[in-house]
Amino acid sequence: MTISMAHFPILAIMVLFLGAFLVALFGRKSEVLRNGISFLATGGAMAFMLALIKPVMIDGEVITYWLGNWAPVSGWAIGISIEVDALSLFFGLVITVAVFVSCIYAFTYMKEDDSLANYFTLFLMLSGSVLGLVLSGDLFNMFVMIEIMTFTAVALTAFRNNYEGAIEGAFKYLAVGALGSTAVLTGIAILYCQLHTLNLAQIAATLPQYADSPLTIMAFGLLFIGFGTKAFIFPFHPLAADAHAVAPASISLMISGVLTKCGVYGIIRLVYVLFQNVEVPAVQYLVVGFGTVSMFICVTMAFNQHNFKRLLAFHSISQVGYVIAAIGLGTALGLSSGLYHAMNHTLFKGLLFLTAGAVQHATGSLDLDRLGGLAKKMPKTCILFLIGAASISGLPPFNGFASKWYIYQAAFEKGSTSGNFFFIFVCVVALITSVLTLASFIKVAQSVFFGQLSPEFKDTKEVSLAMRIPMWILAVLCIFTGLLPGKVSEYLLTPATNAAMNAVNYIDQMMGQGYAVSHGVAGSLGDTAVTFAGVWDPVIWLLLLFCVTCAVAIVAILGSNRKLGTREAPAALQEPEKVAPAEAKYEPFFSGEESVYSQVGGSDLFWGFKHNLKKYFSFMHDWHSGIVNDYALYGVVAIAFVLVFCIAFV
Amino acid sequence: MLQVNYIGAFCLIVLGMYCMIAKKNLMKTCIGMGMMDYGVNLLIVSVGFHDGGTAPIFVISELSRASFFVDPVPQALTLTSIVIGACTTAMALSLVIMAKKQYGTINTEQIRRLNG
Repeated sequence: MTISMAHFPILAIMVLFLGAFLVALFGRKSEVLRNGISFLATGGAMAFMLALIKPVMIDGEVITYWLGNWAPVSGWAIGISIEVDALSLFFGLVITVAVFVSCIYAFTYMKEDDSLANYFTLFLMLSGSVLGLVLSGDLFNMFVMIEIMTFTAVALTAFRNNYEGAIEGAFKYLAVGALGSTAVLTGIAILYCQLHTLNLAQIAATLPQYADSPLTIMAFGLLFIGFGTKAFIFPFHPLAADAHAVAPASISLMISGVLTKCGVYGIIRLVYVLFQNVEVPAVQYLVVGFGTVSMFICVTMAFNQHNFKRLLAFHSISQVGYVIAAIGLGTALGLSSGLYHAMNHTLFKGLLFLTAGAVQHATGSLDLDRLGGLAKKMPKTCILFLIGAASISGLPPFNGFASKWYIYQAAFEKGSTSGNFFFIFVCVVALITSVLTLASFIKVAQSVFFGQLSPEFKDTKEVSLAMRIPMWILAVLCIFTGLLPGKVSEYLLTPATNAAMNAVNYIDQMMGQGYAVSHGVAGSLGDTAVTFAGVWDPVIWLLLLFCVTCAVAIVAILGSNRKLGTREAPAALQEPEKVAPAEAKYEPFFSGEESVYSQVGGSDLFWGFKHNLKKYFSFMHDWHSGIVNDYALYGVVAIAFVLVFCIAFV
Repeated sequence: MLQVNYIGAFCLIVLGMYCMIAKKNLMKTCIGMGMMDYGVNLLIVSVGFHDGGTAPIFVISELSRASFFVDPVPQALTLTSIVIGACTTAMALSLVIMAKKQYGTINTEQIRRLNG
């Protein structure tokens, strides 16, 4: 490891915070300067992360950095550290790519808003804090970063404060998010009380001695639910829905693609490295249980939605549920499939939020019951949306299929090796959720891009190339990660999985060789080799998709030669003299009534399905009351439940 | 003596949570958030406190096995946490002001346009 490499992580964080500072100073004067600084800061952070791939991912090094060179003294970490292992770098890469894409999208998307210097200052602070969170090697620093992240995200959610509900969504996020922050801080205080250190490596080394103490278990419960809040797991999901629906699309991408990943990262760090208790069955039930409930409840909630982005928000949490369920399995396959899905989730969900933003930018509406037929006006956005929708619904050969396929396998394998029915049940719920996701995206596709074009939106223009480029970046990444699961696994997932499952190395790199063993850390968890039961070849699926697309295109082109004229009917109504005389002769026999605007609205497409389950849906609708007290109550109940569960069973 | 601190911290956190759950006023929600913060701050300071310990200000030569002082790290943590708490409260209060302007009320039961 060269000297310069060790400085890369801190430089990546600093460049974002410095960018925020510079934008605040100079960004008000000139747009070019503001955008330039933001572009350079986010691009620079991404470049630093990419440069670390070689040493960390391929050579398997762990980069440690003591701020101010306060190295440990006689086995006690006294300084603040940054430690980048493959797990941190994996999330660092996902985050910086998402941040970069969000930044270039915002240049055009936010153009008509005012006080953009404030926007980019907050945005760069948010980016810096999430990067700081995943690279930090210090527990309290993680808390500070979580707090910066939360309130910059809250401020950005309310950025368009004239938008209906923006203030409300932001307040709920802040108030109920404060419960999670309090839980994290209390957990940290309890850990410090026992161990008198805040360094992650040293905590991981000394914690096994206290593993049975009720205080340790209580701290675990508090930290778990605290990080869970940041990932918006089950009882906290209304916050995400409210925040997403009102935030600008570039910030929705950040909340869904980046902030939830911080929660996921926190949970992985917690159960695999810090407490190393992922092999305890009760912990598996806890983590997998929360993940499964989140994924099922949120996907059903999505059926009730009329707002494009609110619907996407529920799907976002549903997919995060997959990730959390997968990492809770405690196997190498489970963890690597969870990481894979986490990465894919950032890509396809980011893409979907950006297309939603493009629709909002072009039409000014996100209402699924009003929109329709936009594929004719915005064909390029429509293609991007379809790529995103196919990815999230798990259609091969896109990336959502690959990672969900691994998750099913991981859950099933866990169920068959442990003989536990619970994990088979999780696998079945995951499958059903995927089906419901597809159904839900058929609804969105039909009510936004297909069906009839509402007269209200007949002047809609396609969004500019500057907005489509960031979407294409994400779409291409979606396709590549779906087509090359082997490469992704080799260069990203396997190193990250090995790093997470090898706590001893993490501790030794930080505190000196032999430190972990001298403190009685048992060794790495289980077998880290990932073997897949099922086999599939994405390229064949790509060929199949290509053939089907060609067939559909040929039929469509041949079909359009026959002039049925039904589509032009409204035009014929307005200008009857332009109808060719030969056709006009037969008009009385064929035309009948003129076709009228009769789009099937988003809320009507699955009317039968919803009608049969209307008790469930109306119960869930009332349950998400929108009152901040109720959400706080769910949060407190969740904290209490996790604490009682941990103390009783862990 | 320390038990009192821990019980006090616990009571403050629980009262804060109760306040957030039961009070239908956005201002009181903010107060609840603040009380949770203070509870945790009290907890952290108590963790580092040693009865009879001196202030942790020494030069290296003075430091010996016999020196008995309170743990400085929790105090630093508390300071950070207080600053964060102040920021959160300021942000929450500014949102309450905006909510009052937009909705004409600060009753939580009427501020629920985003639901379902």
